[in-house]
Amino acid sequence: MSIVRSARRTFFLYRRLFGTQLKAILEYQTDFFIMIVSAVLTQMLGIVFLWVVYNRIPDINGWTFWEVVFMYAMIYLTEGFGSLFFEGTWRLGGLVNRGELDVMLLRPVSPILQVLTNGIGMNGIGNIIIGFIMIGQALTKVDLHWSFGKIVIAILLIITAVAIRVSINLAANTSAFWIKNAGNAFPIMIHNLGEFAKYPITIFSMGIQLLVAVLVPFAFVSFFPAYYLFDKTTSPWIWMAPPVAAIYCAAVAYVLFRIGMRKYESAGN
Amino acid sequence: MSFIEIRQLTKQFRQAVKEPGLAGAVKHLFTQKYVDKTAVAGIDLDIEEGETVAYVGPNGAGKSTTIKMLTGILIPSAGTISVGGIDPYRNRMENARTIGAVFGQRTQLWWDIPISETFSLLKDIYEIPDAQYKRNLDQFIELLGMEDFLHLTARKLSLGQRMRADLAAALLHNPRTVYLDEPTIGLDIAVKQRIREFIRASNKEHGTTVMLTTHDLGDIEDLCNRLVIIDQGSLIYDGTLAAVKDRFARERVIHFQLQSADLPALREALDHMPKVTAEKLDRQHVSLRFDRFHITASEVASAVMRCGEVVDFRIDEPGIEHVIKQVYEGHITLDEQHADKETAAGTEASRR
Repeated sequence: MSIVRSARRTFFLYRRLFGTQLKAILEYQTDFFIMIVSAVLTQMLGIVFLWVVYNRIPDINGWTFWEVVFMYAMIYLTEGFGSLFFEGTWRLGGLVNRGELDVMLLRPVSPILQVLTNGIGMNGIGNIIIGFIMIGQALTKVDLHWSFGKIVIAILLIITAVAIRVSINLAANTSAFWIKNAGNAFPIMIHNLGEFAKYPITIFSMGIQLLVAVLVPFAFVSFFPAYYLFDKTTSPWIWMAPPVAAIYCAAVAYVLFRIGMRKYESAGN
Repeated sequence: MSFIEIRQLTKQFRQAVKEPGLAGAVKHLFTQKYVDKTAVAGIDLDIEEGETVAYVGPNGAGKSTTIKMLTGILIPSAGTISVGGIDPYRNRMENARTIGAVFGQRTQLWWDIPISETFSLLKDIYEIPDAQYKRNLDQFIELLGMEDFLHLTARKLSLGQRMRADLAAALLHNPRTVYLDEPTIGLDIAVKQRIREFIRASNKEHGTTVMLTTHDLGDIEDLCNRLVIIDQGSLIYDGTLAAVKDRFARERVIHFQLQSADLPALREALDHMPKVTAEKLDRQHVSLRFDRFHITASEVASAVMRCGEVVDFRIDEPGIEHVIKQVYEGHITLDEQHADKETAAGTEASRR
């Protein structure tokens, strides 16, 4: 019961804090339309590149064009959700370096929730739109057998993919507690590892496979969902891997944040 | 057990040692050297509920660091804190519900939304009941004169407006303890007065415990019944403001306006009086600085009167400002034993 209440309260506070940011952005940031369009154009370019490659070869390691498009789209989509709803992860470094986390720690609200809602990336809308369109295309162009269970699982996989993506972003950004300079080169590097997960990881060497499947498990955002949805395996339980990975990533991010907070030194007055 | 109980509280910061210039920065990448800087060095402090405590010290003395540990922002390196039975770091959220804080240098308001919306957001964050929220808000708007800027975003406020809004935001949920870190810094006297009145009212009405750091001695005189002085991370005084003045404001300056003075005779007389120095010495005006523990004002006055016709005179007491400045600069120690001895000597001198 108390878990239900606390979940409801967290969601309520998320909505309030997000709404506040949204109002602020709509008042001041009038260029978000440009940001949305530019995000769409950037991602379209990626797809065009993929299409050119597939014009020359029929498949990569047994993966067809639309199957890889699905993986691309999962990366776009999760990135979109990450920027639109959880852009605050990228602000953590600034908050720590300028000592602005102080204010969040004074309030009886989880600092993680406050960090997550510290910003909104309107360009996320572009990524979400293009991501959904491409996923829709990919799932209809490939001949699949849909059942009610599979639809539910597909939705679950999208949710867990977002959770993994956001957790990895947050975990990478907690580096700000240890690396005390204003830049966020490290989290950007981790974020860019997501590029590997746009392709079936089986095409990479073992080292990279371990990197994106275990260490920084972006493969559970795109590759494993594709593996399940496109019936690449006879094992019906493979769909459970991404949710497990999501819980693992969220736990790691949470623990890193807690440990990092002990390192937090505020900033002198 | 006191309401706020601080025991052997210590905070050390790790500071990177970098040699100057680019070469130094590059070198630091490979050989990282650190020194531990102690900001707070084992302080003990007890504060009862409803007290108003001024926490004073020079820049870098450890005031803000102490406040940040009391509010749960920073984890202590050693020692314990209990605020109303709660450990502020371990039970930060629980503690946060019962405290309010204003950091003069940093706003807690949402930068881009109107002040009124910040308040309503805080209502949801602190789960303030409707009736209490309405009552407090109406009262605060009136007391702090916020009517004019309630609809503006924090970004657009002047410093004085922002500080008033910040103070209102910190007290909306009727916190039991309020920490104010330089709440009147950079404000004009009218706003200062308003803020002081507001704090006083809150302390009186709700019995709110107030701990405030300030460089403004008016704040201390107007608001606080207790003065705690910290320097280099250690407490060097804990007592009333009056006692500090009594004990350590030993120097007085007495100014005479004279009809005509026999200056050579006066100089002669001064030579025989211990610890009396002339600030000003001409035929019409004589100002003498003396230590009241060594010589009484009447002794000084009678010596002057012997050498001329006194038209008028007044005595200047040093402001608390002056006393605290001397403490910071190390001219007087507020060490308890030492102080007692000096007071004893002083009493003896005045008896003489």
